[in-house]
Amino acid sequence: MTETLLTIALRFGVLSLFAIGGGVSILIPQLHEEVVRQYHWVDDRAFAELIAISQASPGPNFLLIPLIGWRVASWPGAFVGLVAFMSIPLVLSVTVGRILHDRENETIALLRRAFRPLTGGMWIASGIVVARTVDHAVADVVVTIIVAACAIFVEANPLWWCVGAGVLGALIG
Amino acid sequence: MSARPPTLAEILLGFVQIGLSSVGGAASPLRYVMVVRQRWLSETDFSEIFGVAQALPGATGANVAAMVADRFGGLPATLVALAGFCLPSMFLAIGLLALATRLSASSSRFVAAETAVTSAVAGLFIGNGIRMALVLWKANTAEQRRWRAARVGIIALAIVLIAVFHMWIPAVVLILASASLVSEWQARKGERKQTA
Repeated sequence: MTETLLTIALRFGVLSLFAIGGGVSILIPQLHEEVVRQYHWVDDRAFAELIAISQASPGPNFLLIPLIGWRVASWPGAFVGLVAFMSIPLVLSVTVGRILHDRENETIALLRRAFRPLTGGMWIASGIVVARTVDHAVADVVVTIIVAACAIFVEANPLWWCVGAGVLGALIG
Repeated sequence: MSARPPTLAEILLGFVQIGLSSVGGAASPLRYVMVVRQRWLSETDFSEIFGVAQALPGATGANVAAMVADRFGGLPATLVALAGFCLPSMFLAIGLLALATRLSASSSRFVAAETAVTSAVAGLFIGNGIRMALVLWKANTAEQRRWRAARVGIIALAIVLIAVFHMWIPAVVLILASASLVSEWQARKGERKQTA
């Protein structure tokens, strides 16, 4: 148990440094690699369930991290995961926030610009990895493609696509 | 900024509300509560802080919460803000997860629904990425157009390295972020030369 908690703390602490551009979802390929393939904490189906709940439940998307922690090591896992993932960004934010107070900064603007293509690619990669865990039937692939098209061309709260797909899945399945 | 800094209780309530109303990103509830309703920040202050939060590692919403609360009340306010932002929605999500696990053990219909939601989430991610790529492709200056091949290259490399080769994400981020920084820096230098 202690060993699992330490692993959670270390792995999620390191990963928090690489959650760039604000999206924790772009880390999903790495989470899948570690949680499913390396440590065998959960299988593909349980991993898919974690993603579905973390996206469909109200709250910030990085709740996927404490959700994984909870699945693997109950409440201690959830809290260790949450604290491990938030600590380094918290220290960085407060430090940078104090330094930059009321000052325009060019480095920040350049950094944000540089992250855009990288996070764009990482979003797509993340989508592909998630699709591979669940899209085993043609119908699933169709859902993924339709929602991708909707996300590109329609301005709407993404929750509606999830709800729509869930209802459809329940009716057909 | 408002005349008097908010109290700890106000910060807690504000961030509980932001956390629970964050669906598909915390940006709009953050802005609504802090700028529109509570008037803790001006529109410019907010977009500046949001920009910095996005450039730092970690979840943008949590970074914004930390920076804003630290301004108002140092460490105690920061911890209160983050607890308010994360914990209520975390308890809710864990409750839902426990319920979902029980339901999926007994109902194949529920499993099908859950799978469909995850398929939709995959589509959402892919759509988000493509939308970002399209924005980068629609360059408006000649200098920007010159560098867009580099951007598309970085997008493509990220996809291949992660989704095909399962490369360690920290390495991908370090390599491609450096490459992207160099190309964006060059692009900006070129733009400056043209406007000068």
